[in-house]
Amino acid sequence: MDASNRFLILSLEGEGFAIPIASLLEITVPRNIQKDPKLSEVFEGKTAYRGKLIPVVNLKKVLKLAGRAGGGLIVIKSSKGPVGLLVDSSTELFESRDHPAAIPRGILNSSLQYYAGILKNRDGLVLLLNVEGLLP
Amino acid sequence: MMQNFLVFRIGERLFGVRLQGAVEIVSWERPRRVPLSYSYVEGVRDYRGIVRLLGLSRPGPIGFTASDGKAGGNDRSVILLREGDWPFGIIVDAVVKMANLDDAVDDTIDVEGMGAQLVRGVRYEDDQEIILLSFERLFYAG
Repeated sequence: MDASNRFLILSLEGEGFAIPIASLLEITVPRNIQKDPKLSEVFEGKTAYRGKLIPVVNLKKVLKLAGRAGGGLIVIKSSKGPVGLLVDSSTELFESRDHPAAIPRGILNSSLQYYAGILKNRDGLVLLLNVEGLLP
Repeated sequence: MMQNFLVFRIGERLFGVRLQGAVEIVSWERPRRVPLSYSYVEGVRDYRGIVRLLGLSRPGPIGFTASDGKAGGNDRSVILLREGDWPFGIIVDAVVKMANLDDAVDDTIDVEGMGAQLVRGVRYEDDQEIILLSFERLFYAG
């Protein structure tokens, strides 16, 4: 099975979300996040990653979920370079036999590009995040 | 033209949808919520494919807030319907009956607290008001 069908399942306020393994660089815990007033409010600040400072996004703020910033940090690749995502936890590596189902129309404003599809795993439906669309 | 409608209750209000578009009635299960979705979307569910679930009693520009506070609970049902290529479900408190009602669209009807694009018309049967719903304009607007 190729990497395009493999996903990391992460948890935010008890709900599962997925990101493609192909975009994953590291799973770690947040350390020494430095506030940066130049960043928008969805960013918690910057943290050191392999000798460089990278921006750290609070995914709950992006998705307008209640609750404190997550205690886990996922570093992903993006077109703007490595980015950290704060999540509650990383729960599973998941191989999907099926391609993600499309997000049905009429659910959310079509200008929001936060989701790339819907996956089914043994616990139910998981929203596949669109890594590029999440970043401001 | 007279058509068969499926009549259901949300709170203390009765609503009708064309029976022709109704696929199935299933029991309610907690849906997968979709952050940032429209206020009337309760989430999605896997039922022979991805089905979006609409909660018309959720506050917002489309739905109405059940003034009696009786809408909701885990014994609700889901009426599965199809609009174009996409299936969807409406979360209802109870399915009441089938009724043969005039299908004509009345754009002048204003139902308090409900989005105009959702209301097809209002009919009366046995002294009860039945609000007929149409989802075409709802989906093709967004």
